[in-house]
Amino acid sequence: MKAFFVAALSSALDLGIATPDDVLKHARPDLLAEHLPRPLWARLLTACLGAPKVDAQLVVETVGVSNLCEHIPEAVIWACIAEIGARSLGGEVAVQKPVVAASSSGPKPLAASTAAGPIATSETTNSSRHTPAKPLAIGAPPPPETKAQPAPPPAKAVSTSIPAPSSAPVTIGIEDVVAELDAEAAPPARARTPTGQRFRQTNTNIGRLAQANQTKRPQAQAAAAPPEVLATPARPARRGETEIEVEIETDVKSSDDWRTALAVEDEQLVDWSSSEETMTTTEGDTHSRKR
Amino acid sequence: MSQDQRQAWFARMMESGLENSIFKPSDVLAHATPDVLASHLPPDLLSKVLAASLAAGSMTPERVLETVTPELLAKHLPHDVLWACIAAAAARAGVTTS
Repeated sequence: MKAFFVAALSSALDLGIATPDDVLKHARPDLLAEHLPRPLWARLLTACLGAPKVDAQLVVETVGVSNLCEHIPEAVIWACIAEIGARSLGGEVAVQKPVVAASSSGPKPLAASTAAGPIATSETTNSSRHTPAKPLAIGAPPPPETKAQPAPPPAKAVSTSIPAPSSAPVTIGIEDVVAELDAEAAPPARARTPTGQRFRQTNTNIGRLAQANQTKRPQAQAAAAPPEVLATPARPARRGETEIEVEIETDVKSSDDWRTALAVEDEQLVDWSSSEETMTTTEGDTHSRKR
Repeated sequence: MSQDQRQAWFARMMESGLENSIFKPSDVLAHATPDVLASHLPPDLLSKVLAASLAAGSMTPERVLETVTPELLAKHLPHDVLWACIAAAAARAGVTTS
């Protein structure tokens, strides 16, 4: 409590809210003489004798706010702080009584005590609205500033924003519902980015160049293909034909069940005639690529 | 010598020394230092001293001694302090025993 008094009084003096005269108005010399220890009095007398002017500021500065709050009765200090608070809030009533006596003299509602002053702000009214009207003596200091907690949203606000099922007439047809579901199920035109290939990867040159990024172009299907050992004896290549054509022809001839192996779409077909990479690939790769 | 008599005597010496300018109020407060005053003066007297100084705007030895009269000095302060003040004034005046 004393620390609070020291902070309140010191800050009031520092900020110019209170003056040393306000302090000595309550901490009168007789109270100082009664409660201050003698070493403090010695210091005070020394300072006063050495000062060209003796005033309340000298006394307060010499004794110190902390010593005043330490030795002067709390009721006196509180009365001083309460008067400073009342004056800063526009109250005209000078508080002379300590808080205990003031609170027992006759409590008044906060709204009534602040309504006369010029600072009946909306914040005050708001805080008084959120909190129950607590009787507060007029001599009491301003209540500690508390943050106005946001009021929880009333339950009615939620219920009124959502129409009740019974009161809402059903005006939506089944076609609209289906159309809406289709619209929701259908992906947006350009919203989704391709995450992977839908079709089997072909070992084209682009595919090999893209091996640096394995996540985008996985080669799992090519590796998972069962190894087929094609006993393809060296067939004489027909003259005038490229080796690519020979390979294609050989592959088709060697595989009897090629029609039933996999259904290949036209989009998956590779223009082997325009690819030079087939010359450098192994035979197994060739087979898996063709499939 | 009873205490009252010695007190009255010291009070009279202090009063006379001030009246005759044997010593000045500042000489008194040179011995009756603030520590001494604060240690021996009663609270009401300290209060009066401070109140008078605040009212006047300054605290001077003269103003202190206006409040703390020689009788009060002799009543509250140790007599050896008052005697030291008197002896020092005598020494300044060239009055010595030896």
